[in-house]
Amino acid sequence: MRLWILGEFPDAEASLEAARALRERGYRSLDLYTPYPIPAAEQALALRPSPLPILVAASGFGGAGFAYWFQWYCNAVSYPLNVGGRPFQSAPALVIITLVFGILCASLACFFGLWGLTRLPRLHHPVFEVQHFQSASIDRFWLSIDGPEAEIDREEAIADLAALGAQHVTAVEEKA
Amino acid sequence: MSNQAPGAHPLEPAPLLAGEEGDRPLTERLLQYVWRPPGRAWWTLFGIGLLGSVLLVLGITATLLYGIGTWGNNIPVAWAFAIINFVWWIEIAHAGTLISAVLLLFIQKWRNSINRFAETMTVIAVLCAGIFPILHLGRPWYAFWLIPYPSTLGVWPQFRSPLVWDVFAVGTYLIVSTLFWYTGLVPDLAAARDLSARRWQRILYGVFAIGWRGSTRHWRHHRVAYLMFAGLITPLVITVMSVISFDFTAGILAGWHSTIFPPYFVAGAILSGFAMVATLLIPVRRFLHLEAVITPRHLDNMARVILVTSLFTFYSYIMEYFMAWYGGNPFEIAVEVNQAAGFYRSLWWGTVFCNSLVPQLFWSARMRRSPWLLWTASLLINIGMWTERFMIVVNPLHRDYLPSSWRTYAPTYVDWSLLTGTLCFFLTCYLLFLKLLPAVPIGDVKELQHERPLRRTGTS
Repeated sequence: MRLWILGEFPDAEASLEAARALRERGYRSLDLYTPYPIPAAEQALALRPSPLPILVAASGFGGAGFAYWFQWYCNAVSYPLNVGGRPFQSAPALVIITLVFGILCASLACFFGLWGLTRLPRLHHPVFEVQHFQSASIDRFWLSIDGPEAEIDREEAIADLAALGAQHVTAVEEKA
Repeated sequence: MSNQAPGAHPLEPAPLLAGEEGDRPLTERLLQYVWRPPGRAWWTLFGIGLLGSVLLVLGITATLLYGIGTWGNNIPVAWAFAIINFVWWIEIAHAGTLISAVLLLFIQKWRNSINRFAETMTVIAVLCAGIFPILHLGRPWYAFWLIPYPSTLGVWPQFRSPLVWDVFAVGTYLIVSTLFWYTGLVPDLAAARDLSARRWQRILYGVFAIGWRGSTRHWRHHRVAYLMFAGLITPLVITVMSVISFDFTAGILAGWHSTIFPPYFVAGAILSGFAMVATLLIPVRRFLHLEAVITPRHLDNMARVILVTSLFTFYSYIMEYFMAWYGGNPFEIAVEVNQAAGFYRSLWWGTVFCNSLVPQLFWSARMRRSPWLLWTASLLINIGMWTERFMIVVNPLHRDYLPSSWRTYAPTYVDWSLLTGTLCFFLTCYLLFLKLLPAVPIGDVKELQHERPLRRTGTS
């Protein structure tokens, strides 16, 4: 069973300071909930960069390659179309759909990759049990320590968060 | 002429956000229109929109049941209102993408408060545009032949045709715009979910917010995805409009077969689109009380873009004439002379007035920052761009190579129903958007607010 210990901070700087302090104390699995993206938070939590660009690039080029091959196959091999005496392998005419289909595949990979990596939609999550957590999307910054119940000392984590200035420090569990 | 409010220091940039406000009051204020029950003005406009949408359905039904004969199309003017409307709606969509994607890539902060209006306008405009290519087919029930599928006939679409390129370009544009729009909307839907007073609102917004918690682990992916979407959709702005222009240029008709069309269409698209953004934004700003987040500086910037693109368009008009004269092709010369002096000359001169003369007002800073002047000018530009598309489509067709093929064109009531219908359908969808969704991107505005102290020290 996983445990989350959450605390609310009034502004971004305080929450970032707290995050760095907790990392120094040895906590590894941290998260910072903010109403808008804060680039410094990714460094404070030492998160790895997102793999999304590689995914998108691969899909884009793959999709473009497929589109070119497909157009050539349809109009030159499967049912050859003689249009105004132009060669069957007429690359300039095939460029547009290649480009556009590549962009489409890249965008689809971006969209589904994003929600796949974030594991959303997930309408219920233990952090939503904390009533005050609603402020995380409005004007407050929440820091959470999480981990399997066996590995986290609940009282110590709560004390650490409170010592760093967190309000509404609460512990919630994920029922397995 | 200063860009400043009176009394402000001339070297300080004009503010993008009027006044400081805490995040919570800002969020509540930006969402207050969503929570309020719709007022009389909203219901009236919505009623008009619905009636018009019914008219649209009737027009579509008449077209599908009785055929293109219900339209004013004839030979040689085989393309008329449908293609004009298609091009006009798509070009309106382009400004939305420009504001949300291109301005993001150029780190233009003034896009932060207006990008959602613009993106929504794009999505609805592409939907309206997409109706026409299907309807204008003589046998629209065979529209699926344009999509490559393994058929029992063994035939595939002719991929070397701009008409097939259109299908892919516009289809991709619709899909990518919608995905981009929704991705940006999710964090704001989470804010709406968390501020909902009633249970049904919380459930509705909660479902569409897909459980967004604001976790930095998620923001990391979201930020990258948003930037990548912007980077992917930017080439589409140029590509889609160019592909649509290829519908004309790939043909041999005098007046169409010209290499100026792609940049001409793209410039016209940005002009028309920004004019539509201004047309929508100025009343919305007034009635939703958003003057603090959509400041005179935003209006000023939009007016500048309109001025610049009107100069591009004006240059294109001159170039059309110059190249016809320089090229010496008698048919092309005849088309251009006919445009200025023939049957449709009043539409042409109206176009020049609306698209080239009216925007020249925006050389003056006072005119740029006047909301109602900007709004009136935008309306004129929207009409002017529509008549420009009319001149591009109908003029070369109605007098082409052989005099025996010459015939004028006049629209029928079905043509007008479809145009008015799509306008009303757009209005309906836009009103629903304003009422149900956060019209101003709350997260972006908060980001802007928190950057302000940095910007102030950075620029002084």
